Amino acid sequence: MKLISPVPYLALLTLAFVFHPEASPQSAELKPEQCLGGELDAVIRIEVFSDFECPACREFYLRTIRQVLKEYSSLDKVCVVYHEFPLRGHKYSRQAAQYAKAAQRLGRKQWTAVLDALYENQEKWSQDGSLDDTVFKALGAVEYTSLKKLLLDPSIDAAIDSEVSLGEKKEVTSTPTSFVYAIGREEKVVGGLPYPVLKEFIDRIVR
Amino acid sequence: MKIIILRALHWTCRIVLGGIFLYTGHIKLESPLQFAAILFGYKLFPDALIVPLTYYFPWVEISLGILLLVGWKIRYVSLGACGLLATFIAVLTSSYVRGIDANCGCFSFNDRITPLTILRDGIIILPAIYLAVDSALRARRGSSAAKPEIL
Repeated sequence: MKLISPVPYLALLTLAFVFHPEASPQSAELKPEQCLGGELDAVIRIEVFSDFECPACREFYLRTIRQVLKEYSSLDKVCVVYHEFPLRGHKYSRQAAQYAKAAQRLGRKQWTAVLDALYENQEKWSQDGSLDDTVFKALGAVEYTSLKKLLLDPSIDAAIDSEVSLGEKKEVTSTPTSFVYAIGREEKVVGGLPYPVLKEFIDRIVR
Repeated sequence: MKIIILRALHWTCRIVLGGIFLYTGHIKLESPLQFAAILFGYKLFPDALIVPLTYYFPWVEISLGILLLVGWKIRYVSLGACGLLATFIAVLTSSYVRGIDANCGCFSFNDRITPLTILRDGIIILPAIYLAVDSALRARRGSSAAKPEIL
């Protein structure tokens, strides 16, 4: 008996992939400084809605996103955007988000340093609230002072609120939730991803 | 009349099961990263295994769906479907018992694992079992009919 070839099905799927109705890069609302790594015009963009006190977000950032930043964003193949999405049930999440947002305004290097420190020391500060200490150690005295001044700016809170609203609009209900934009298509991913999976996905598109 | 009913049942099982496998394979192909996130969420598979599962497993489901619809080697294909569905049930039950708040990833990606999702998969395995038993019985009948009668 003649077997049905999967080729027509594959062709249809490819067409659906290319001409997907949701195909929209949606980068118009983003500013270059929102990229934690890479540039907005990169082939792939990963937007992550994350909460600093969430253990899955910690694992996703430390085990996966940091690798992506190192291996792909540095070559401008992937743009990583981090959106603050502090969950209401977490005591220090909002405060941590304020520190991160202020660090973002200092520059990409400072922002990355604060993100690294907050996630690496999550277990400690989420217990004792030692956010100040954690951020101070990550930035050093001079930059920490600048960050403290920035924290007084009400636009920091407004920026966080706006990212939370964006997440709600995109039906984000848990963290981490990512939106991966590639070849004109958007894929929503609820939960963390191991690095090898993301690497395979990126390689298939970038190569 | 009985033969017609049995034939209709056989065809219904193949169409329903084949359609289910085609659909579930298709949604996994459409959202490979979300499927990977679900596999990761089960906390059951090593990272290295999630990569091939993500990219090749949907094709296994689609192939099973096509073969069920076409009816090629139905005896073995339905056994394969039974094995696959039994594995799904085992994975879902294991996640539920371990208290993991994960998605089922069966028919959509926002389908939390509950006893109902496990029961649903338990119901879906029934046509696969029927097809496996039915095709095995047919094969046995066929082979005994082909045997020369001993005088």
